[in-house]
Amino acid sequence: MMTSFLFRAMDARAGIFLAIMAAAIVLVPAGNLLVPEGSPFHVPTYAVTLMGKYLTYALLALAVDLVWGFCGILSLGHAAFFALGGYAMGMYLMRQIGTRGVYGDPILPDFMVFLNWPELPWYWYGFDMFWFAALMVVLVPGVLAFVFGWFAFRSRVTGVYLSIITQALTYALLLAFFRNDMGFGGNNGLTDFKDILGFDIQADSTRAGLFAASGIALVFCYVICRAVTRSKLGKVLVAVRDAESRTRFLGYRVEHYKLFVWTLSAMMAGVAGALYVPQVGIINPGEFAPANSIEVVIWVAVGGRGTLVGAVLGAVLVNFAKTWFTAALPDIWLFALGGLFVVVTLFLPKGIVGTFSQGWTALRQRKASADYEAGSDEPPSSPPHAPSATARDAEPQPAE
Amino acid sequence: MTRATSLLYLDGVSVSFDGFKALNELSLTIAPGEMRAIIGPNGAGKTTMMDVITGKTRPDSGDVFFNGAVDLTGEDEASIAELGIGRKFQKPTVFESHTVWDNLELALKAPRGPFATLFHTITGAEKTRIEDLLDLIRLNDKRDELAANLSHGQKQWLEIGMLLAQDPKLLLVDEPAAGMTDAETAETAELLKDIANDHSVVVVEHDMVFVRSLGVKVTVLHEGSVLAEGSLDHVSADERVVEVYLGR
Amino acid sequence: MGGTKKFKRLIPRDAAERLLGMRRLTFIRNAGGPMSFSRSLLLFLFLAMGLTAPALAQSDPEALRPLINELAKGKYDDTQKQIGALVATGDPAVAPALEALGDGDLYFRKSDGMVFIASKAGKGYALTDPLTLESAGEAGRRDVKKIKVNNKLRRVLRSALGSLTLMAPDPAVRKQAAEAVFKSRDPDSIEALDAALAAETDDSVRTVMEQARAAAVLNSDLGDEDKLAAVEVLASMGTRQAMSLLLSVQSSLEGPVRDATAAAVTKIEKSIAAWDAAQNIWYGLSLGSVLLLAAIGLAITFGVMGVINMAHGEMVMIGAYVTFVVQEMIRTSMPGLFDYSLFIALPLAFLVSGAIGVAIERGVIRWLYGRPLETLLATWGISLILQQAVRSLFGPTNREVGNPDWMSGAFEVGQMTITYNRMWIIVFAMLVFAGLMLVLKKTPFGLYTRAVTQNRRMAASMGIRTPWVDALTFGLGSGIAGIAGVALSQIDNVSPNLGQGYIIDSFMVVVFGGVGNLWGTLVGAMTLGVVNKFLEPYAGAVLGKILVLVFIILFIQKRPRGLFALKGRAVEA
Repeated sequence: MMTSFLFRAMDARAGIFLAIMAAAIVLVPAGNLLVPEGSPFHVPTYAVTLMGKYLTYALLALAVDLVWGFCGILSLGHAAFFALGGYAMGMYLMRQIGTRGVYGDPILPDFMVFLNWPELPWYWYGFDMFWFAALMVVLVPGVLAFVFGWFAFRSRVTGVYLSIITQALTYALLLAFFRNDMGFGGNNGLTDFKDILGFDIQADSTRAGLFAASGIALVFCYVICRAVTRSKLGKVLVAVRDAESRTRFLGYRVEHYKLFVWTLSAMMAGVAGALYVPQVGIINPGEFAPANSIEVVIWVAVGGRGTLVGAVLGAVLVNFAKTWFTAALPDIWLFALGGLFVVVTLFLPKGIVGTFSQGWTALRQRKASADYEAGSDEPPSSPPHAPSATARDAEPQPAE
Repeated sequence: MTRATSLLYLDGVSVSFDGFKALNELSLTIAPGEMRAIIGPNGAGKTTMMDVITGKTRPDSGDVFFNGAVDLTGEDEASIAELGIGRKFQKPTVFESHTVWDNLELALKAPRGPFATLFHTITGAEKTRIEDLLDLIRLNDKRDELAANLSHGQKQWLEIGMLLAQDPKLLLVDEPAAGMTDAETAETAELLKDIANDHSVVVVEHDMVFVRSLGVKVTVLHEGSVLAEGSLDHVSADERVVEVYLGR
Repeated sequence: MGGTKKFKRLIPRDAAERLLGMRRLTFIRNAGGPMSFSRSLLLFLFLAMGLTAPALAQSDPEALRPLINELAKGKYDDTQKQIGALVATGDPAVAPALEALGDGDLYFRKSDGMVFIASKAGKGYALTDPLTLESAGEAGRRDVKKIKVNNKLRRVLRSALGSLTLMAPDPAVRKQAAEAVFKSRDPDSIEALDAALAAETDDSVRTVMEQARAAAVLNSDLGDEDKLAAVEVLASMGTRQAMSLLLSVQSSLEGPVRDATAAAVTKIEKSIAAWDAAQNIWYGLSLGSVLLLAAIGLAITFGVMGVINMAHGEMVMIGAYVTFVVQEMIRTSMPGLFDYSLFIALPLAFLVSGAIGVAIERGVIRWLYGRPLETLLATWGISLILQQAVRSLFGPTNREVGNPDWMSGAFEVGQMTITYNRMWIIVFAMLVFAGLMLVLKKTPFGLYTRAVTQNRRMAASMGIRTPWVDALTFGLGSGIAGIAGVALSQIDNVSPNLGQGYIIDSFMVVVFGGVGNLWGTLVGAMTLGVVNKFLEPYAGAVLGKILVLVFIILFIQKRPRGLFALKGRAVEA
């Protein structure tokens, strides 16, 4: 059952994506570690880290796309799950510092010593073990999403209302994590990490490893998303997105479906956050800012919502542009980002990938119908229009 | 007919929205295997009645029983659908970004839980059933077409097909002939009569020609309660019905 | 709340200014040696008296100087007599010298017998003229000698000083002198107070004196009868100050007085609790009106038109910047108009924000009707652009927007302090609300708007130009946000991020109150404001806010369409 489930995820489009990812996972670390520094093929460490960061953003975008693109739940609070995953990882990294902190306390992180905390709060227990932290990375966002979703979906909070309360959720968490007595470092968050699983977090090889881990996590989550969206459950999700009450009258418990995909998505966002933190070296409450969540949505919209590859592509493209703009033309960046929001919603509602596959299929169709009229026996087997909002039937295209 | 022997049993059902009584002590009984047409002017409460039966609206008072025993007022839409009540909406609602085939597959009677659908693989029997339905609703050549690209009449038929795919005991059909050409209307009437052979059907319709062609018992609703009941000729002869319709 | 602000509220504005100015002066004087607070306060009182009662202050210092110099002569008894003589002049100018004498800072120069206030400076002393309070050079350690005082003299001095100020011609000074006695609870002041009470003509000053007397009586060895009367006076004050005073003397009392004190404390506790609640409600209403102002424009664009306008906060921000620009222009060209700057800014802010709103509607939103989530994203983009535009034009830092005179200061109602800016904002919010209601209910434009919201196709077929109505309604909502910005510029930092701070709160208010219902927005804003302020004392500001957010999240689960939801089939359509 599981193999057929995962097998469903595979087709040409997924194949191209996976091939590109595999190449990146191998070539980028190799270019950093094996190619000598003077060579034109050398990848500098900062670039490896930057790309690793993009990959974690891509994973976050994938998570948002899963709920928004396929189930119509516009979450303006996914940064909350991302940040919670990040904090779980950050707590592990803090515990790894041990006596190397400024105050040299073997148990307490620096900020607790600074605040005169006598002992470790109970919720910090266990985070000295990687497996426990890794579990929390998916469990904490997952449980929060489950509880939140259970309430929200059961009471049929939908559309804009849901978006607004997801925003309230992340805003409330933002305020909470700013408080020193929450025990998460308050304003400054968690930083000054030393090593992860025994490897120096600053070392080139660790950076390369983290890049590879981010790539693998992205591939893994992509395959899961692909399998989910191409299953019958995926069809139900799209049905919910397009006509929620109709789906109910068919006998589907819409709230269960939403809860499933919402929780899954939150867990993926948590993983993204956990991979993000060791690469940027800090996690602070700013990550909860509602603006961050909305920015993720625009990555997905630019790439093409309802297309998994689009979410990844959008995240990488927009963030690459951001890096470039903020370095070259810092004042222009917000104009550009704002303009992107407007232009994409007005002129490119299907995003890059969606528009591309639509054009591609239209072209193929025209060709096919021309063949048909020219006397071909077979009617065109491909559907006249690819469902623009689903990745299912969209064609692979060279943009990747 | 008593509650015990009925398929659908409404007794004294009232619903009001902000003081407006959409249903007023409505009582109605459908026997197993029966086909019933429900007519009434705008605002008579036809759609609200459907909403109450399918769990979309909770009645303020009154009983709604299915199969003589199941209290529908305590159930939600999904479980009522699972019990075997299918509904076709006034405005055709199909899943526009799914193909005709997928629309039918989603409607097909099968386990409805998320994990069941996650690992679901379509079986041969299911494929055969979908093929049969495609033939019945005459959409076989459109099976891979997106539902969004169907004509209005084809969407109506697809929705009826989805209703059948659910294999319900009772079908609630809201204005199936709306927006159809005369020829399509006649075909739809024939289709419904076929369906009525092995299902109970409640049809809400404005079109008197259509209702006449069904040739079944008619219930006239007015201001949320039953005004008259009987054959179409019988109710047409009723003074009050004529008054309600012509406003005399 | 900062110390100065609190200060401002307790003391009338002009007095506060004098106080601040004087304190600076006394601190300068103080630099050489320690000076008790009560002393500097008294000094201030005298100086203030000098400023407000110029007739008395004009007394020639040289006429008093011989009397002052007499202080240095003879034994304690002679000094006491001399103090009496000084008090008999009734001239407040002698007070600093007496005060310094009490504190042991009064010295005389051995060479010529002149008396000075001295403070240690390096190896010698810095001398200050006791009458003019000007510096009088320095003196070596051996050149001057301290005028000695004993405890008896100190008492005499205190009451002498007390009666000097308690009899001052300016009622404000008398009142403050009485308040000083209330704080010091010096039983020696009773006599002076009695004398002052007999002569007092101002009722409000008399009350304060009576309270001061009561405080001193409780601290004295007078009989139970006097003390019971004193307890009663204090109980009727009902303030925290009176309560802490009663609590502190309670343990030293016995018998019926002690019981009476306990009863009085309970009574005061109740009254304080009631006033606290009233103050909290006031703060809550004040916060509620800020929320209302921020949300009411949104209630139109989101509530009535169904447009999710994430750039709404920026409309508020632009209104605040319009105020800034108006004030800048007034400052440079017509400073006299400053007090009217807000009235000039209001229509301009409405027009500017409204025009931007119309532009946004025509340019972007009209293509997105019926796609609320897309509207949300596009308007978010617009909000980023507007923020960055303002940042480029005016810089990223806070801009100074001043309060006109009638917006500053405060007054007291019972034990509540009401600041003028908060009060005007509440009034203003109500006016805006009422005005908006009027526009929507009573004008043809309002009728069109409601018609279009309820049934667009029908409205169009009846000849209403729906695109025109859409644009103007959106402009109205945005313009109202601009007006809100003028008000909020008075209480918040005017920076490009101003709008961001309000957008989430505004949405909460509209959603909580019920979309499409202006009354719901009013009730929602006020409820959230009051709840927030009642939570704050227990949970702290941040946690209080978190609790409110959690409450709203839970509330929406329960009533997905808000407090005043529209019901029925119309909702589903």
